[in-house]
Amino acid sequence: MIPELDYAFYVWTSYGLFAVIMVWQFIQPRLRRRRILAELREELALQSGNYDDPNA
Amino acid sequence: MIFHRLKVGFHRLGSPPTFHKLCRVLSPWLWAGFLLCAAIGLYYALYVVPPDYQQGDSYRILFIHVPAAWQAMASYVIMAILAAIALIWRIRTVEIMTMAAAPVGAAFTALCLATGSLWGKPMWGTWWAWDARLTSMLVLLFIYLGIMGLYAAFEDRRKGARVACILVLVGLVNIPLIHFSVEWWTTLHQGATIRLLGESRMHPSMLPPLIWMTIGVKLMFGAAMLDRARNDLLEQDRRKNWIRQLIGESA
Repeated sequence: MIPELDYAFYVWTSYGLFAVIMVWQFIQPRLRRRRILAELREELALQSGNYDDPNA
Repeated sequence: MIFHRLKVGFHRLGSPPTFHKLCRVLSPWLWAGFLLCAAIGLYYALYVVPPDYQQGDSYRILFIHVPAAWQAMASYVIMAILAAIALIWRIRTVEIMTMAAAPVGAAFTALCLATGSLWGKPMWGTWWAWDARLTSMLVLLFIYLGIMGLYAAFEDRRKGARVACILVLVGLVNIPLIHFSVEWWTTLHQGATIRLLGESRMHPSMLPPLIWMTIGVKLMFGAAMLDRARNDLLEQDRRKNWIRQLIGESA
């Protein structure tokens, strides 16, 4: 199934780098959005007095 | 009539809630398009096209390297157009899009340099040469990083974006330098193989994966830029009512 290539190390490293960068570009903004939304929800809860401190 | 509608549509994009909605709706379609194009492109690149008679399988690296290089430059040109619009009309959402394009463009530039190096070692016998094409591409990476750094250095994000937009326009001078470097100077890097005008020097059987991958990375650039722009907008407008309503709806 996996093709046997000449210069396999160079070819597969290139394709691997491509995959890693594409996955990172997909995941990183989603992780950041999740963090921003969590902060905003926390701020809103604090302002409305519905904040349950997870460390309490 | 059509011009008027276009003008109204363009101005609506300046509204943060409309822009946020547009990013949310468009991004998944662009990612899906990228996945489809990349799947077809990678299948052709790894399973269908034959090895090169001189380079063997190492030339398959170009199906990553060339689309990444084209996209690194295309991203910069798009960023420069957006920067000009942002500076002239002072549209905040366009400023945000300009700044969101920089990390994606930088990623493509880094990928282009890394895959070029991985091809250069077996073919040229060296990981790196200070020739005009490679050096100007490295300069492009530094310009991208400079724009990101400058934007991040300002506490006032709008001021940071405007200053960084000026740097984007100044850095545009590097794009023709990259493109014509192989013609103006004697370089280790080969000249243009694919030509939009005129005959390409690449065998037609090798073109389909290149075309699929090129379309794929363009879609991916759009998707990643919109994802980042959406986040920047959320962060900047965190005290605004439309964000609070949005959080309230999603809770």
